[in-house]
Amino acid sequence: MSKYEYIPEPALVKGNHDFASITKLVTDVNLRPTPKNWYLAMLPANALLGLLLVSIGYLIWEGTGIWGLNNPVGWGWAIINFVWWVGIGHAGTLISAILFLFRQDWRTAINRFAEAMTIFAVMCAGVFPAIHVGRIWVIYWVFPVPNQMAMWPNFNSPLLWDVFAVSTYFTVSLLFWYVGLVPDLATLRDKATDKIRKVAYGLFALGWTGSSRAWWNYEKAYMILAGLATPLVLSVHTIVSFDFAVSMIPGWHTTIFPPYFVAGAIFSGFAMVLTLMIVARKIYGMKDIMTDDHMEKMNIIIMVTGSMVGFAYMMEFFIAWYSGVEYEKAIFMLRATGPYAWAYWIMMFCNVISPQVFWFKKLRRSVGFTFFISIVVNIGMWFERFVITVTSLSTDYLPSSWDYYSPTAWDVLTYVGTFGLFFTMFLLFLRFLPMIAIAEVKLVMPQGDPHNYDDETQEYHLHVEEVPQPKAVKA
Amino acid sequence: MSELTQKTYWKSLNELAQNKEYEKFVEREFPENATELSDGFSRKGFLRVMGASIALAGFAACRRPVQKILPYSKQPEDIVPGIPLFYASAMPFQGNLTGLVVENHEGRPTKVEGNDLHPASGGNTNAYHQASILEMYDPDRSKFPVRNGAKSSTTDFHSFVADYFADTNKRVAFISEANSSPTYNGLKEEALNRFDNAEWVTYEPFGEDNAIEGNNIAFGRRVRTHYNFTNADIIVSLDDDFLAPTHPNNVEYAKQVTFRRKVTSQQDTMNRIYSVENGFTITGSYADHRKRVKASEMADFANALAATLSSRISGLNSFASVNNKFTGSEFITVLADDLASNAGRSAVSLGFDYAPEVHAVVAAINSALDNYGTAVNLLQVPHFDNQNNKTAFANLVSSISDGNFDAVVIIGANPALTAPADLNFTEALSGADEVFHLSTYNDETAKTASWHVARSHYLEAWGDGYSFSGARAVIQPQIQPLHDSLSEIEFLGAITNAGKISGYDMVRETFSSFYSRNFENRWLDILHDGIDVTDGFSTANRSARNVSPAPSTTINEIEVVIKPDNSVYDGRFANLGWLQELPDPITKITWDNVALLSPATAESLGISTDDYLGKAKQPVLNIAVNGTPIKLAAWVQPGHADDSITVHTGYGREGIGRVADVSSESSQLLDPETTSGGVNVYPIRTSSSMLFAQAGVSVTGEKYPIACVQDHHSLEGRDMYRQATLAKYKEKADYASFESIHKYAVPGMAEAAELGEDQPISLFNEQTAVEGEPQWGMAIDLNACFGCGVCIIACQSENNIPVIGKREVERGREMHWIRNDRYYMGDKENPQAVHQPVPCMHCELAPCEQVCPVAATTHSDDGMNQMTYNRCIGTRYCANNCPFKVRRFNFFNYPKEYLTSGEDPDIIQMAMNPEVTVRFIGVMEKCTYCVQRVNREKISAKIETGSPKPADGTVQTACQQACPADAIYFGDLTDENSEVTKMKRNERNYLMLEELNVRPRTSYIAKLTNPNPALVKETNEEYAQ
Repeated sequence: MSKYEYIPEPALVKGNHDFASITKLVTDVNLRPTPKNWYLAMLPANALLGLLLVSIGYLIWEGTGIWGLNNPVGWGWAIINFVWWVGIGHAGTLISAILFLFRQDWRTAINRFAEAMTIFAVMCAGVFPAIHVGRIWVIYWVFPVPNQMAMWPNFNSPLLWDVFAVSTYFTVSLLFWYVGLVPDLATLRDKATDKIRKVAYGLFALGWTGSSRAWWNYEKAYMILAGLATPLVLSVHTIVSFDFAVSMIPGWHTTIFPPYFVAGAIFSGFAMVLTLMIVARKIYGMKDIMTDDHMEKMNIIIMVTGSMVGFAYMMEFFIAWYSGVEYEKAIFMLRATGPYAWAYWIMMFCNVISPQVFWFKKLRRSVGFTFFISIVVNIGMWFERFVITVTSLSTDYLPSSWDYYSPTAWDVLTYVGTFGLFFTMFLLFLRFLPMIAIAEVKLVMPQGDPHNYDDETQEYHLHVEEVPQPKAVKA
Repeated sequence: MSELTQKTYWKSLNELAQNKEYEKFVEREFPENATELSDGFSRKGFLRVMGASIALAGFAACRRPVQKILPYSKQPEDIVPGIPLFYASAMPFQGNLTGLVVENHEGRPTKVEGNDLHPASGGNTNAYHQASILEMYDPDRSKFPVRNGAKSSTTDFHSFVADYFADTNKRVAFISEANSSPTYNGLKEEALNRFDNAEWVTYEPFGEDNAIEGNNIAFGRRVRTHYNFTNADIIVSLDDDFLAPTHPNNVEYAKQVTFRRKVTSQQDTMNRIYSVENGFTITGSYADHRKRVKASEMADFANALAATLSSRISGLNSFASVNNKFTGSEFITVLADDLASNAGRSAVSLGFDYAPEVHAVVAAINSALDNYGTAVNLLQVPHFDNQNNKTAFANLVSSISDGNFDAVVIIGANPALTAPADLNFTEALSGADEVFHLSTYNDETAKTASWHVARSHYLEAWGDGYSFSGARAVIQPQIQPLHDSLSEIEFLGAITNAGKISGYDMVRETFSSFYSRNFENRWLDILHDGIDVTDGFSTANRSARNVSPAPSTTINEIEVVIKPDNSVYDGRFANLGWLQELPDPITKITWDNVALLSPATAESLGISTDDYLGKAKQPVLNIAVNGTPIKLAAWVQPGHADDSITVHTGYGREGIGRVADVSSESSQLLDPETTSGGVNVYPIRTSSSMLFAQAGVSVTGEKYPIACVQDHHSLEGRDMYRQATLAKYKEKADYASFESIHKYAVPGMAEAAELGEDQPISLFNEQTAVEGEPQWGMAIDLNACFGCGVCIIACQSENNIPVIGKREVERGREMHWIRNDRYYMGDKENPQAVHQPVPCMHCELAPCEQVCPVAATTHSDDGMNQMTYNRCIGTRYCANNCPFKVRRFNFFNYPKEYLTSGEDPDIIQMAMNPEVTVRFIGVMEKCTYCVQRVNREKISAKIETGSPKPADGTVQTACQQACPADAIYFGDLTDENSEVTKMKRNERNYLMLEELNVRPRTSYIAKLTNPNPALVKETNEEYAQ
């Protein structure tokens, strides 16, 4: 034995798969006749989507008064849900872009899936800022539309930054996702037997031939988009946090918000990917590709980001005390002990305490437990946004204006309705698009590595002894 | 004057509205004849219609008799469309007039202001005056006479009474509300002369009857006590809430009291106010010392005060032997010392409803202190009845019940609701053949009357009368009666003269009798000035009698005290949404009455006294007086006397209107799930318990939601409200500065000084004052404000602020642009209550402007933070980012519910100010510093002088103009000599949340208190803790 033992990465794809079986495994889902269970899932999703549409319709008809908003608390569930959904929408691009640039090959199993989730989450998020305004019929005024009055939006306003940040993020995420889909769409086109599928997939496959030149262009485009998307992962939630941080309300006006929001977004995004992945891989039998190792890695990220969020919570308290500003001090004391203490402690438990269980390897490899924690984390992150949005407004500077905010049924129904939008989109995605990036997964299989495959023996050099030792050790 | 001229004197809305052509005209966007023009139709036709519509503008307000509607080919003198005209009038309340100036837009009155020539107003008003405009336009007002439940007309009424009262042997009982009108009282004489078997009783549910009786005991004369608080260094209010609008002379008194608390330099002095009361009154909150005493112990307290004074001054010997729980107490000893050393410069007052014997004691105290002639006056009021009206009323009712009268004529009053419960007024009426009733609403009494006649509002009928202090004025109508109604003089004239005489003729005749020569010119002056003479009442001769101590009325158990409500009074204002939604000055409750009780009493009943945010459902109490129970939600009132419960009248109405009615189904304003409109407490008010009674109280276990606009009552040690004692101010003039309070400079100031700036630096673009433009600013004197809330109603009236209903207030969506924050300080059992009006601060670095994504809120060149409704998309970010939380959002289409519901929405729409946009759903709104008034004056200043800077004082905001305490200063900050600049130079001037560097244009002048050093236990905190 040499001095240093080389411990190889566990295989990213389990089971005895070759390229063909991977292709078959993934594309079968799309090319098989629609299973009955899909319809069974689509039914409640569509019902909830209908609920969302009804809620929005009633909202526009009656006015924002149907929500529980009041005078000090001008933003309630709508903004909470917006920030929450945007936060969830962080995981996809992070996994695709940042992990791609860092050459984290394990991302390939979940990137398509996570990106899809991102796009749908951002769609759900985008609903809220649009509908929460009093006069949705003139919402286009937030865009810099040239007009005869030379009336531009106010570029000082973080809400305007939000419009640009979220729409840019959505556009780049969609493009990135679509570019990644092109080779797989071509695969589906080629495997499709009926005419409609052939044409439809063919149309979106952009005439992909799999030529070396096509691959070269594809890799470059993918790299550029990854480069573009990376800063957006950080910027979008930074700017969402500016909605709060740029204002002057105690508990909002803090410089810690951008990193704290980004960490929180990754935290909740990974939790949501896990929630969906655990269900999907079970139903579609993708355990060989979405393995327990992936789950473990993601759990570690959840634990790390959860701790970062927890650290931010404590720093907020410290800075409030250290700043000496009485309103800052008061709002943090009120959060922990005031009328919304219940929400604060739910948040603390879900976000700070619950992810700490992932210090234990056994727990972070437990599927059931991971599923449970992933849900707890998303509840916690929802409450984080609740605590930030509502408590600060509810009890700000002038005690005479303090008032308690509670949601109405319409607040709840609108929120629940966005799950309808999300799952409808997600089910359509699962049905019609490859949920796993086939081409990318193949690249991370041993077969995809030209150095590890022996053509003569047709064997893979998987044994430790056969792996070339690092040169430094030899010397 | 002939009938013809009178009739055409007013070219009324009503007449025009009945004109088919005009109806079509208003319904159509373009006048019918306007389209005819293109058809080559005669231009004359068009002009005729246009002329008619503009005659509505012109001639309704015009004073000259006009016989025909003329085409608008020549602009009538003084009429410029869009420019309002102002006419003097006066509003009667409890028989006392307050002089007003009414703003008219194209012939319709839209806003009421005080008349500064009239002593009862001095240019200011109270909430009732402000809301009276809404009363006239109230769509639920009685619109036509009702005969036995069926619609009738004034013509039918006239012919009926001419016939019915032709027989002068008819036995007629007249029950009238208090009325000081010389015309009316002339008619009263006439009526009593004409009908041999007539009796007349003046009936007011709350009023000065007992005070008059008290003076009768003390001086042998039925005279009025009128205070001149300007001359009082020491004011002792024994549960006399003379600052509240429930007092008939509150505007004048408020001006007097606050005048003596205007401190502009360290050399100034202040009066000292002691308040002894069971509940927390407005006067109590303004007092330097407030003592909690049960209402039933007030007689003891007055006796004890007289007894304690008897050893210090002469004239109170009969009290020397008094010995009760108050004699010898520290408070009363100090109070007596203070009074004795300020003899001749003090005033002791007592709430009207206390027993006459207690009033006599107070009169004896004032007499012994030699206060008469300086701070206290006795006025000989010619129209006072020579009888005790309370007993006379009771006797009359039983007499009616016995069938001793053929007809009962009830003028104005609503005794079916308000009469003492034991008199069984409604049943008693069945003893008469005919009951004639004149009232503004089809109210409880109207429903029992065989003839109900709709009453003309004071803004639409001629009248006259005296103020509380005796100033004589004419009530000048501003518009032809909107409905088929009669004024009280027309009504009484019809009965007395059995003929149809116009109110105008009667009033003119009355006044011509005062002037033997040159009447015509005098008459025009009276109409123009809104005042005739100020000394209509002569000072009564005073010969003090020996007054003996008042009998003790102590109730050892829990007492219930019945008071008129600050918003709806005895119920007469119950259908006015503005007043229903006006937060009570102390409790901040809207839309309901509650049972107020002290924290200790609440705990003894098992009611939680915890403060928490959110929709509070209050436990319901069962309060029984002599076996008659009422159920009322409990409300813990810090500072309330223990073992005492205060309830307010006027709520719990049925069949009055959409606003007043309890859980009215027809009203969209009110939530059908949560009842509103409060509880009628008159059932427990009997002849023997007009003010207080022993009550059996239990908690029912039910809960009732209360819409309160302020959930948190403590300042949490924050510095928004700053105050000190006068003594402290003399030591340290800048006690209210940020540095004095926090012991460090405003953050950023040191750095700014290094940079050579005079303000901390900001990330955002600073607003630069435009050269030549005025820069508007406001200062609010907290030392003057006593929290009455008239600013809120004045603002509501000026700025078309909608009424949103109890449900929406409960959700915390009140729309008032100016609110009055009330904080409690100090002892939980007996705290100080302070008031702080909060309008928009018009910050120079406005945080709302920075965050609006569509730039809907921006800064004007003259330094105002403006709101562009048309641009607003309703993100509410501005409201969130406002540290003062003064922005208001249209969560629903409030104006739609408010202005288009009901069968006759055109009427309520007329109450809107045409100069202010009615806001639509989904837009933000807030205080504009009355930009429409500012710009009106800027334009006229520019036309006249070329500069857009109006002279100081020409622009008044609605809140400023209404405020009887003159607590609000507004003007141009570039003018070194403007009142507001002077106030802002005062050392006590401070900015709320100065450390945020938003640079508010509205600042506050810190409060001062003037406590008696002998009663100050420890040094007062420098500012609220």
